[in-house]
Amino acid sequence: MTREEILSKKPLHVLEKIRENLERLNEKMEVMIELQKHGHKDIQLLPDTPLDVMTLLSMPDHLRKTAMTICRSGRATADEVSQQTSRARAVESAYLNQLVIMGYLKKERKGRKAYFYADRDSQG
Amino acid sequence: MGKIVAVHSYKGGTGKTLLSVNLAATFAKHGKKVCLFDLDFRAPSLFAILKVENTEFWLNDYLNGKCGINKVIVDLSSRLQGNGNFYAALANPATEAIRDMSAKDRKWEMRALGKLLSLRNTLLGEQKFDYLVFDTSPGLQYSSINAIVAADFVVVATTGDRSDVNGTRRMLRELYNLFEKKTGLVINKVLDSTSKSKKDEMDARIKNVYQVPMLGLVPCFCEVLRAEGNLIFAQDKPNHPFTKILDEMATKIEANEVN
Repeated sequence: MTREEILSKKPLHVLEKIRENLERLNEKMEVMIELQKHGHKDIQLLPDTPLDVMTLLSMPDHLRKTAMTICRSGRATADEVSQQTSRARAVESAYLNQLVIMGYLKKERKGRKAYFYADRDSQG
Repeated sequence: MGKIVAVHSYKGGTGKTLLSVNLAATFAKHGKKVCLFDLDFRAPSLFAILKVENTEFWLNDYLNGKCGINKVIVDLSSRLQGNGNFYAALANPATEAIRDMSAKDRKWEMRALGKLLSLRNTLLGEQKFDYLVFDTSPGLQYSSINAIVAADFVVVATTGDRSDVNGTRRMLRELYNLFEKKTGLVINKVLDSTSKSKKDEMDARIKNVYQVPMLGLVPCFCEVLRAEGNLIFAQDKPNHPFTKILDEMATKIEANEVN
């Protein structure tokens, strides 16, 4: 790779980083907006509680729908969940991130996509 | 894609196993590829009803991650007439196995749910099964709620007993509705349902009480009790009224007529 090529790649790399940070910021804002809407009562941090059927039963309806979709598909993006639930992608993104904060789901980034899943294997 | 049908009830003794076995056998008689699952790990009974011998792997082993589902399912198609395929996955009846299944923790139950959900890919998707019928344990237990969550449709068996009616109503409201499950109600062991007017009156009363669609009314048949679990009516007594009622139920489920 020539010096010119390396230099021309650098701004692209910086822009990509900025975009990623903006996306993360956006996700955090979506969670905050949802928290304000529903109040903080939904968020109970129970780090050792697995996402089993009893947990699903005790969840508020809006989160149960999202969590159930992940249970069924195993692993999905906010976009894929929103197609199953017929709710907006931004809404699902906020619910999924809430479930991550609550410790029920894990999140993994692959390139531009964020995947959510219930970590069945590492527990117990 | 095929469907998972769970047969559940609030109380024990409502006839879940009888309905599960005969419903699965009826689907097979209709030419479908069916697997019947014994998910009542606290009181396994299908091994005795289906008279399966020399079982090497049980459903317990699949849920414990010791083997794949194909090691567990037993092909019993030769026992049925017609061109359907009838398989069964059995629960281990040994006391030690029952004790082991009763002592599982929540993380194990979460993985068990994942294993049941993955049957959708393996059996319904790859192996083209039309129906998986889950015979469950009664009430709100982990194994039965796992089965309900994994199912597409829940057959709710109940009787006229007052405590059963109240409990079933509560379960419809606080369990199946929360998981957005399609349900069909079967009232079993019904007395005086012979005349059409009596049947219609009962039908209306039940719809009013439970607010869910009726899948069927099953009268109390002495022949069923007398058989003592030795007969699969759908197979052994093709002209019996019980077999005909089961046939109607299976047809309704196949045609998506419930809900």
